[in-house]
Amino acid sequence: MGRHSRILAALGLSLGLVAAHPAPGALAQTRGGTLVMVTVPEPPTLASYLSTSGPIGQVVAKVYEGLIDVGPGFEIKPSLAESWSMSDDGLSITFKLRQGVTWHDGKPFTSADVQYGIMNVLREVHPRGGATLKVVESVETPDDHTAVLKLSEPAPYLMVSLNGYESPITAKHLFEGTDPRNNPTANAPIGTGPFKFVEWQKGQYVRLDRNDDYWQEGKPYLDRVVVRFIADASTRTAAIESGEVHYGAFGSIPNIDVPRLADMPEIEVTTKGYEYVAPMMQLQFNTTKAPFDNALVRKAIATAVDRQFVIDNVWFGFGKPATGPIHSAFEPTGLYTTEGVTDFINVDDRIAKANAMLDEAGLARGADGIRFSMIHDLTPYGEEWRRFGEYVKQVLAELGIAAELRYEDVPTWLKRVYTDYDYEMSSNWLYGLPDPVLGVHRQYHSNQIRPGTVFVNGTKWSSPETDALMDAARIENDPAKRAEIYHEFQRKVVDATPIIFMHELEFTTVHNTKVKNAVMGPLGVYHSFADVWLEE
Amino acid sequence: MNELSETLPQGAAPGRLARLARLWRLFARNRAALFGLAILAGVVALAAIAPVLYPESPFSLAGRPMSPPFGDWLFGTDTLGRDVMAGIAHGARTSLMIGLVATLVAVVFGTTMGALAGYYGGWIDDLLMRITEVFQTIPSFVFAILLVAIMSPSIQSIVIAIAVVSWPALARLVRGEFLSLRNREFVQANVLMGMPDWKIILVQILPNALSPIIVAGSLMVATAILIESGLSFLGLGDPNVMSWGFQVGAGRTVLRRAWWICTFPGFAILLTVLAINLVGEGLNDALNPRLREGKA
Repeated sequence: MGRHSRILAALGLSLGLVAAHPAPGALAQTRGGTLVMVTVPEPPTLASYLSTSGPIGQVVAKVYEGLIDVGPGFEIKPSLAESWSMSDDGLSITFKLRQGVTWHDGKPFTSADVQYGIMNVLREVHPRGGATLKVVESVETPDDHTAVLKLSEPAPYLMVSLNGYESPITAKHLFEGTDPRNNPTANAPIGTGPFKFVEWQKGQYVRLDRNDDYWQEGKPYLDRVVVRFIADASTRTAAIESGEVHYGAFGSIPNIDVPRLADMPEIEVTTKGYEYVAPMMQLQFNTTKAPFDNALVRKAIATAVDRQFVIDNVWFGFGKPATGPIHSAFEPTGLYTTEGVTDFINVDDRIAKANAMLDEAGLARGADGIRFSMIHDLTPYGEEWRRFGEYVKQVLAELGIAAELRYEDVPTWLKRVYTDYDYEMSSNWLYGLPDPVLGVHRQYHSNQIRPGTVFVNGTKWSSPETDALMDAARIENDPAKRAEIYHEFQRKVVDATPIIFMHELEFTTVHNTKVKNAVMGPLGVYHSFADVWLEE
Repeated sequence: MNELSETLPQGAAPGRLARLARLWRLFARNRAALFGLAILAGVVALAAIAPVLYPESPFSLAGRPMSPPFGDWLFGTDTLGRDVMAGIAHGARTSLMIGLVATLVAVVFGTTMGALAGYYGGWIDDLLMRITEVFQTIPSFVFAILLVAIMSPSIQSIVIAIAVVSWPALARLVRGEFLSLRNREFVQANVLMGMPDWKIILVQILPNALSPIIVAGSLMVATAILIESGLSFLGLGDPNVMSWGFQVGAGRTVLRRAWWICTFPGFAILLTVLAINLVGEGLNDALNPRLREGKA
């Protein structure tokens, strides 16, 4: 109680200061104010170069920046790099860096920071950096404001991943000669972004203040961003309802409360801003275990499950039926297609059709009406996944498949699926990430059957054709040709159905209508907030 | 020695039937206990006829999700369209089964520990009671959560967890009874006659310590049902078995929109636990006449 009132007092004081010193001239209408957002759970550190953990990104994306920014429709926009050009063979990318950018400690930003940040920090310690930046053989720095990335092979997925959330550029003078895993700035980041880190009261809030020397003229509009940590879900709902908190993303406001909040005039709800992570819900098979080694059996189950029912009744309507391995968020880039892809969504008489397919597969019903028994493992992430498993079990029962549900703790389940492959069918969900090379290939390529590594190919399914398609797409720089390859890939994968694509999970961002420009493209809350402003 | 044991201070009434009748009279004097017994009988009947009333699995998707009660479905349907009443009927079987089996396991184990400790005393008593204390110092519900989480949720692991957290109280109770009976003349006489220890424990002392065990055991059934409901509520129930706690847990997120999903199973838990407590109270009155007179 005492702690809360102290925060409130601090906030009140800051608002008072704003009122006492109104921003000058033309910007008066849009400049100023403190944005309070809520993040769940509290991040373990503020080292986004070391962990992709969501809460870290939500806070630190305001402090660190990347070479580029990702705009609506996955458009690549300038950020620390003003412009860039790619050599014809796709093996070198030359970035012209912005002049006059300084770190929050006052030191100038140069190409040496880019070189050190990519080669010595991100490539070494970032969880995805090792894979994404593997193709970067060196970063050359002909002058202080030019950085040239030398690649071992063309990498069409590289540009999009150089944004400030995925590939934050860190200061060389703070990292050189230290172990990036133990850098003192891990909990007090120093970046180039629109907001400077001020303090982190553990268990309460992180305070970020406006960077007055920011390179974008007149931005950011906000004077301050306060990220609050409120453990109890209903307290978060109450806080946004009362206007005490302005902004909450990634399920920090429970879905069940969202429809009610959406009806309030001062609150806005959007499911946009998650295209970058492209989360997808799936049922995956161990394709080495009979009878799931038979594609017909897998497709029978894919036919039987009613995706819309699951979305409406388990996920409270937040979701969109999935059509294949690539998320529909990729539609603007041309990679996504439904053409020629087996359609499991618009099916009549699901159960009858699925039963016919199982008959065809030679799995006759026994005297008790049961074709076979199996164990269905549930994703141990909470209530919804359990409800989903209960639904699947009932559908399987209608197909004459006696399923038993198994619910274990996370490490045991991960080991079962990704190390021991000791399962038959399991629910799961993975991020599609901003390019199929980063988020999709890992589940289908034969070289991604890596016992002990989680969230890779756990179905053990692969085919020479799809391997070849993925290998080709990885180095194809021509967007049209690349799209063609991925269209074929979607047809092939859905035809084999090693994974039943259930639905694209929709997260919600709930914010006060006073907050303008709340979601600026696919990065959503992982964006820098330089354009966000508060209406008086 | 038979003559000796028959001259126990307790055996005033001749014949087994007459004694039972006397117990019933004492029990029936407590109106609340009769009320509890009636409810309990109802729950047992519901559990017995559940497969007849609802032959389909209680998990089957019966109809439109979140249909309100007293329409097509007596108590409505839940978020997936499962019949809440079918869940309550099948859940009664689970609750009673878990309550009884877990209690039985706890009673057998607790009584053994307590009997050995109380009868032999000395270092055996010290050892067994220190072990009991180790279990007693851990908060029982937290301990049960831990055990189920380690063993993975299933009916067996839940029964084991409940038994493990329930036996220590009984062990202490039985030890106390044995300590006081151990030094009574009829036991001393049996020792002098050379009766083996196990026979003295089972045939001579245990029957005389039975009343408090029965009372404590009956109340333990109620606690076991509560623990099971709590575990299921937290998502640690057997995912393949319908239970009241599971229904409450599954419905709590939609309490504002569909109050019936967790309300009716909640009432089932309340009534059953209340009934068992009332019955336990009645048993206490009937079996512990001294206490009853003290109250009057």
